[in-house]
Amino acid sequence: MTAVDGGAAGAAPVTGQAVLEGRDVAVHYGGIKAVDGVDLTLETGRILGILGPNGSGKSTLLAALTRLVPLTRGRLTLDGADYGRTPPSRLAHRGIARTFQTVRLLPDLTVLGNVQLGADLRLGRGARLRELVRRSVPPAVQEAIERTGVGDLLDLRPGELSYGTARKVEIARALAGRPRVLMLDEPTAGMNQPERLEVAGLLRRLRDEGLTQLLVEHDVSMMVDTCDRLLAMNQGRPIAEGAPREVVRDPAVQEAYLGKRGHRAGDR
Amino acid sequence: MNAWWVSHLVLVQSTFISLLLALSIQVPLRAGVFSFAGVGSYAIGAYTAAILTIRAQLAPVLAIGAGVVLAAVVGYLLALLVARLSGLYLGMATISFALFLGVLATNGGELTGGATGLFGAISTLTTTHVVAISVVVVLLLAASERGAYGRRVDAVREDPHLAVSLGIDVTRVRRRVFVVSGALGACAGGMNALLRTTVSPETVGFHLVVTALTMIIVGGALSWAGAAIGAVIFTWLPSVLQVVGDWQLVVYGVLVAAAAVWVPGGLLGLAQDGWRRLRASRRRVPPEGAAAPAAPVAADAEQQLAALGGPAAEVRS
Repeated sequence: MTAVDGGAAGAAPVTGQAVLEGRDVAVHYGGIKAVDGVDLTLETGRILGILGPNGSGKSTLLAALTRLVPLTRGRLTLDGADYGRTPPSRLAHRGIARTFQTVRLLPDLTVLGNVQLGADLRLGRGARLRELVRRSVPPAVQEAIERTGVGDLLDLRPGELSYGTARKVEIARALAGRPRVLMLDEPTAGMNQPERLEVAGLLRRLRDEGLTQLLVEHDVSMMVDTCDRLLAMNQGRPIAEGAPREVVRDPAVQEAYLGKRGHRAGDR
Repeated sequence: MNAWWVSHLVLVQSTFISLLLALSIQVPLRAGVFSFAGVGSYAIGAYTAAILTIRAQLAPVLAIGAGVVLAAVVGYLLALLVARLSGLYLGMATISFALFLGVLATNGGELTGGATGLFGAISTLTTTHVVAISVVVVLLLAASERGAYGRRVDAVREDPHLAVSLGIDVTRVRRRVFVVSGALGACAGGMNALLRTTVSPETVGFHLVVTALTMIIVGGALSWAGAAIGAVIFTWLPSVLQVVGDWQLVVYGVLVAAAAVWVPGGLLGLAQDGWRRLRASRRRVPPEGAAAPAAPVAADAEQQLAALGGPAAEVRS
């Protein structure tokens, strides 16, 4: 299975090439600096993890990168071209997919319908009209379903799913569009340990197939195991960046996560 | 049968016209757009068709078509105007659009016939035309509820942010909804004006907002079928309720209140829930990954064991 092969791009992408870049990204709400001066680079076939305590601006950063909130300052580029003014709905067509921090499945659609929603942007008019007459499942949808293991649940509604399963369906929906950049906002929140490992394994396999990813997660050990690089944030600002093991050992990161200064002093 | 048909012809015609009017509100609601602009479009369609029939003796289809096109254009412009509004504010803005058109009609001088309106819009429009047009409209709308088209509208209604992130241009969908709503309303208004051969500010007033909304709330807002159920009920109910005399309005009120409180999905939603539950109870083994509380309860012990992680679980891993 060639799988998620960088969408429409024909030639195999070179691993490590910069795909999406943010420079000095800032999102301020009045006086509140939700994100303030973050630089980041997403590279082909690599996973960048964003680590930080609650309220550190991770989700806002994701919203900024996907153009759901306007930038106060900074520059966003995709394949070297500025996309700071591209309408957010165009980004999906350019191969950027994302999941949200909370479960956002449509309650009236079945699991299959929800996953199909992710692939609909690739349907031409002919395919849309054909679907009115005969129900058909595009290969990309089939594949996303198989990879996330939700194949037994296709007729159920989101209200009938467990929380962890609903999150898997969301990942399936994001994959169904065959993106080349996938941004995941706490994809394993609310999952049990086996489910977490399953998802982490899936993300690593997707990476090995060339899918560029941005991962926001709280589970530090999963982040260290899964990501190629980590960016740690606190109060909207970047506090450390680099190889995962180094970042989690960074004193500033330890402090942000453990909270109290006294803790660190006590460790010494 | 023939005698019945003749004596009930007006009601049959009204049913289809009400259906189109209700659809002009239902289409925006399905996309999460709280707009009553369809009622204003009804006025545009009614007056355009009447004026063109009286003054230019235009064929009914052309006269109605002209109103449909005009209302669609006005709908588009209105969508641009109210682009930043939503919810209650949008509802109010579109109601005032309808009221504004009523004022315009009253003060339109010779063109609109002022407060007395226009008379003598005699045309060759027949019930068959009305039914045929309605059937075509319903088929198109039914198609728009299926497949990728239906999913797109669902996403725009339930979660605009999500829709955007999935590549759906929410603003464009909303603008289209205003155009379609305008066309539907104008079609209803035009047909009504030509069937009754008359139109006045009174017949395109605020009461139409109430009528259309009532039909949708009781019938169900998420599908054309809900609007159809509502249109049938509220067109035929008055003749059924003649026995209760002055209490008719009370019965109306109770019906609408009951539907709004206990059956938020309308009668259609009720029927769909029932059907879904029936299907769920037929499903033998709840698949793994289904939430435990909501999973259908298996009937016999063997099925219960299977549900708890028997053979089904093995197959999966």
